[in-house]
Parts: sequence; structure tokens; C-alpha cells
Amino acid sequence: MATRINPRFSEELKKYGAINMNACYNCGTCTAVCSLSTTDDSFPREMVRLSVLGLEDDIKTSLKPWECYYCGECTTNCPQTANPGELMMSLRRWLTAKYDWTGLSGLLYKSMSLTLFAMLLVFAGVLYFANSVNFNLEQMLHTGHIFEMVAIGTIMFVIFVPNLLRMWNFTVLKAGVKAPFKTYVTALSDLFVHMFTQKRSKDCDEDDSFRWLEHFILVLSYLSLLFTTVFLNWFGTGSILIIIFGYIVSFLIFVVTVDFVSSRMKKKKSLNKFSQPSDWFFVIWLLLMGITAFMVRLFIDLNILESNKWMYILHLTVLAQWALIIVPFGKWTHFLYRSFAMYFSKVKSMALE
Amino acid sequence: MKEPKIIEYDALVIGAGIAGGETALNLANTGYKVLLVEKDHSLGGKMILLSKVFPTLDCAACITTPKVSEIARHKNITVFTESEVTNISKESANNFVAQITKKPRYVHVDDCTACQLCEQACPVSVQDEYQYGLIGRKAAYIPFSIANPKAAVIDIENCTLCGACERVCPTQCIDFTMETEYYELHTKTVVLATGFTLFDPIEIPRYGYGRYKNVITSMQMEREIAPTRPYNTILRPGDGKVPDRIAYVLCAGSRDNTVGNPNCSQICCMYSIKQAQLLMGALPMADITIYYINIRSFGKGFEEFYQQAKSMGVEFVKGKIGEITEKDNGDLILRYEDINEGVVKEAEHDMAVLSVGVRSNPTIGKIFNNGALKFDPLNFVAQEDLMGSPSKTSIKGVFVAGTATGPMDIPDSILSAGSAASEAISYLTQHQEV
Repeated sequence: MATRINPRFSEELKKYGAINMNACYNCGTCTAVCSLSTTDDSFPREMVRLSVLGLEDDIKTSLKPWECYYCGECTTNCPQTANPGELMMSLRRWLTAKYDWTGLSGLLYKSMSLTLFAMLLVFAGVLYFANSVNFNLEQMLHTGHIFEMVAIGTIMFVIFVPNLLRMWNFTVLKAGVKAPFKTYVTALSDLFVHMFTQKRSKDCDEDDSFRWLEHFILVLSYLSLLFTTVFLNWFGTGSILIIIFGYIVSFLIFVVTVDFVSSRMKKKKSLNKFSQPSDWFFVIWLLLMGITAFMVRLFIDLNILESNKWMYILHLTVLAQWALIIVPFGKWTHFLYRSFAMYFSKVKSMALE
Repeated sequence: MKEPKIIEYDALVIGAGIAGGETALNLANTGYKVLLVEKDHSLGGKMILLSKVFPTLDCAACITTPKVSEIARHKNITVFTESEVTNISKESANNFVAQITKKPRYVHVDDCTACQLCEQACPVSVQDEYQYGLIGRKAAYIPFSIANPKAAVIDIENCTLCGACERVCPTQCIDFTMETEYYELHTKTVVLATGFTLFDPIEIPRYGYGRYKNVITSMQMEREIAPTRPYNTILRPGDGKVPDRIAYVLCAGSRDNTVGNPNCSQICCMYSIKQAQLLMGALPMADITIYYINIRSFGKGFEEFYQQAKSMGVEFVKGKIGEITEKDNGDLILRYEDINEGVVKEAEHDMAVLSVGVRSNPTIGKIFNNGALKFDPLNFVAQEDLMGSPSKTSIKGVFVAGTATGPMDIPDSILSAGSAASEAISYLTQHQEV
């Protein structure tokens, strides 16, 4: 079958952050220095090549962008400064947009103003809601709690399940892999291991595993905070254990995200040199989530929330923006796609055996 | 500082490598008096240290030594070795004033018979820079067997002043009272032939040069296969084993922005192919693999030379080496992406040769007053009229020959030297009277 190349694809990919990829002269240094690249799974040069040629279908069926953890060695050592690491990052953004059936991810990735507009819209919505209940704290806390549960369920079934099915369709079915059902079950352990440990990023041998540890703590703290607020009703509970636990995890989120934001500002590692709006929104909103949740609970414990309702409105705004924009259509999804990519990749390799 | 001795020549040629030597000969044969200034102890530059030359496989020493002898014996050429030009100012169109510092050799060259008794007597051993660190030499030594002038040198920095050499010298040519001499040269034209420096692969830590003993540079391999070679066979430096599997890592320090050199060095592909062919002759059972990005065999006879290497059994693998790791037994593992298959691979070799690239020689940067000499972005001498008169520099009356302008091979250096000489001659005839 004839393959049509599409040189204009690079223009599209640039909107997702790709830098200088056309400088690549195919020496393979990036692939050879990559700590994660193996004989069975060699990247990133292949992805650079596919991107330069604009072979979108091949990119869509590939799991390699997700197998990259941006150790940064490829970018540091690229003789042409073609920045393969950032290209892989851009492909992940592009793939996120392609997996999303609503198409909103792509729009928000490409347009900063649209993202800001959506953020403001949500803020207005929160204010409208607060006004409609006459700023009654009890009412707001109750509805906020309900909102969290509804949002989680809705996003899960309306956005994530279809998107993951699309990802499965692109990367497994269209790739022509026929995997028996049993392999999907046996590979499940890989899914959860990667989802909760991100152990693959430990193989980046650039420095110690501090980066992995930070990320690991962040993921666990975030999931714990989610669990504490939604299922243990942190803001309403009387249990001293739950209260202290919530304080600890929200504080940890704050500490780690402050370091993430500052390293993105310092730009020392190649991982942190290029930040798209989606990266900033993700880390900053996570930081805000941690700190506002912490403050709300603190205000409750100090009994001053009633006189400082703005604190809760602030928290609710951050929460709603997080839940309605960043989680379903932003960088949050890498949590799912990365682990599912490792899962599908396991399924693929088992099917091939 | 002592008062400089005033001397006068028609032309000053800086650098006595193959380009400078050729320029000096051309000028001298036309009747002009030439001062040839060389910072090293011998004429011949880098070429005299090479094994053979591509694509003809002629012996480099057999071409260089007669030429060097001719230069040394020419009545119109005066050679200053161990000398550096520290400053040049242009007083008028045909009056350049150059300050020259001639360092002491501590040996009277005319009296030295190169008997090597001083070498045997000297108790100091240091790394031999002419064998690129593969072996040692003494502090009283003959630079290399085909050096010209072939006379001893005292390496005063490492010398312990024990006097052993002085005592054994049958002609009493060793003289520790020699001092630095200063000259003020008045000349009508200047030719720069300061050549290039080789890339130091220590800048690419991934390749392990300096850490892994069996990772060597192409210049070290050049010495190993030259007729005046140090080991008299091919050995890997780590344990003296005769290597069976030799890898060439092309573009080490060339076409690489991470070391600040985006240029192609133009010679590495071909000298690596040449060395591979010579190695197949020297070690018929050895496997030679050349890892490359692109083979640039653009010159006359080059493509045939490349094809010849292939048909001799040299293996060519498309893919740049990403990193080298060492095993306990000194063998090396080279990791690369096989570009034709798109797959990461690891290959084991006994020895890896880094085909190091060409860099500019920074020493001429400041010798001209008020920075009148212009350089290109990679610090090679800028050619003001590249298409029309490639030997002209930004200063009228100052010409440039050979690799001082950028990477080039030996035939091109000779051509460039011819061009610089004829430009200089034309300048001299146009500016006769003072």
C-alpha cells in the first residue's frame, strides 16, 4: 500500500510544543543513549522520523510515546539539537487530543486563550452557584461534596472509558494485534503496577531516583486526598485520624508541586526546559488544590470558615476547574494513558509470543 | 626581555606543516627569501606522522620526508623551529613587522648527530606526544625517527638537570645555557599555514575516552599502523592484546552541536576507510566495523576507495555510536541504533577508534594588531573572497593556506598552498619598492 507523507504535520505538531524536529539527520544517537529504549522497543528516532514524514496513522498506532519518560538524555546528546525528548512530549499531547472523542483536549492544548476562557467560565459558574444558595456554607459544602462524586463518575464513564477504548482501538486493534481475552486478564497486574508506581521512570539513569520518588509521593498523596475528601468526607468528618491524614497528604501535594513548579522555572534539566500552558496549569492547579484543601480544613478546625466563606469558594473554584477542565481534557490523563500504554504493550508482547 | 635581533625576509610563512612547507617552497623556488616559522621541533606537521594517504595508499612519510629535506636545505628558506610569532603589525603595504620568540632547544642542532646516547642516558620518562601517548620517551630525545631537523631536544619542563645527557654527548652539542631569542622581522608578505587541531574526545564522556584504555583516537591508530609505529604491530593499549574486532566511531566531534562543531570535518570518513583497509592488511583475521551517519566519499577516487573497502570485507553500519561501556576484560560494548532496521543494538569490540574531527587552531587569534584578521564563526581564518581568491584574508598582503581556513584533505591543502604562494608572489611583484 502506498504511504502518503504529510510534511504539514510538523506545523500541527508545533502547536503541541515540538521544537526543531526537522533538523534530525537520523544518526540514531537519541535511541542509542536512551535508557528505556530496547531492541524490541526502539525510540525516539523512529517517532521523530514518523513525525517528520507526517505518518499520523503510524503514530496513532504506536505506544512508544507513552513508553518514554522524558529522561532527557536524547535531548542533551542530540548532535542536531532537534530535541527528541520534547518531540515525544508533544506526541503525547497530540495523542491525548486524538484519543479524546470530544475533541476538546486538542482545542485546549492549542489555545491558551480558550483554556483561560474555560477557567473563567467555571469560576463564574461557581459564583453563580454560591449566589443561588445565598452563600450558605452548609449548603455549599454539601453540594461541593456531591459535585465531586458526580464529577468523578461522569468523567470516568463519559470521557475516560470511551477515550481508553479509542486508545485500545488505535494501538491494539488497528495495529493488527489479535490478543486472546486471557492475556488481558494476566496483563492486568502490569496496569496497576505502572499506574501506582510509575516504576519505569526509575530506569532513567540520569541522576538518582529522586525525581521518581517525588512523583511517586505526589501520585499517592493526590489519590489519598481524593479518597479522603470524596469517600471519607474530610471536610465533614469528626474522626481525628482522617483529619490528620488529610492534612498530611494535602501538605505533601503542596511541597512536591512547589518543587515541580520551581524546577520548571529554573529549567535546569531538559525535562523542565520547555513548558506548555498545559504543563503549567497542571502543576499549578495541583498545588492550589493541595493548599486550598489544607486551608479549608484548617479554617474549619479554627472555626473561622463561617466568617471566611471566600476560602471555600476559592477551593471549590480550583476544584471545579481541575475536575471539569484539567482532569478530563488536560495533562491529568497521562496518569491513565501511561499505565494503559504499558498494559497494552504487555498485551501486545504476550499476543506476539 | 632582550633587545630583539632585526632580520629581514621577503616572506614570512607561519606553520611548517605540509601547507606551509609547500608555500615556502613555491616562494623560495621563485627566488624570494622566506622565513618559515614552526612552533614544534620538526617540520612536516601532522602529515609526517601519518601512515598512508587516501585514496592512493601512498606512504605519507615517503611523500613528506623528501619535501621536508628540500625545505630544510633550500638556500632561500630559513627555518625557525621552537618559534612563535607573537605579534604582527602592518606598517605599510609591503612592510610587516613581526615579533618572533625562538625558544631554546638546549641542543646545537648543527653539531648533533642524532646518535641517541643522550636518550639512553636520560633517566626521565614521560609520555611521547609524537606517538600520541601510546608509549613513553625521555626528557632528552629525538622527536621521532624521521623528524627534521633530526636532532635531540631537551624537554626542559620534565628535565631534572642531572647532566647525564651532557656527559655522554660525544659532540658536546647539549647546552643548558641557551636562552630564548627574540627577533624583529621585517617582511613584505605573510602566509598563515597554522593548520588545525584534532578534536579532544574527552569532551564526549559517553565514549569513555581517557577512562577506557581500549578507546583510542584515529591519530593514535594512525601511529599504530605507520611505518615508524611504536609497537611494531597493532595492539590494544589496555592489555597489549592483538585486537580481533575493531570499531570505528565516525563523527566523533564533527557534525555535533553538543560540542559546538556543526561542521563536517571532511577527512574522517576517508581516513577511517583507509585505516580499515590497512588494518585488514596488517591483521587479516580481524573484523573491522565502521559506524557512520553518512559516508562522505566526495573526492576524486574516493567512492571507489570506499567500495574497495567494502569488497575487502570492512563492515559498514549506518548508525552513530551513542555510548561505549567497558567490560571487566577490557572489551567494549558499543550501543547504537541500526538505522536500516530502526533497532537499538549492542556490539562487542576489542577496541574502538574514535574518528576525531578537525577543529580550528586558536593560536593565531591575537597576533595581528587591532584584530584586523577576521575569522569565521568556527574560528578558522575567514576567506574574504572565497570564490575569487580563496587565499586572501581580511588583511591585504596576508594570505592563508591549508587547514587554517577549514577542514580539508592533503591534496586540497597542497592546492591551497599553491594558491597562497602565487597570491603572495603576485603581491610581492606588485609591491616592489619600499
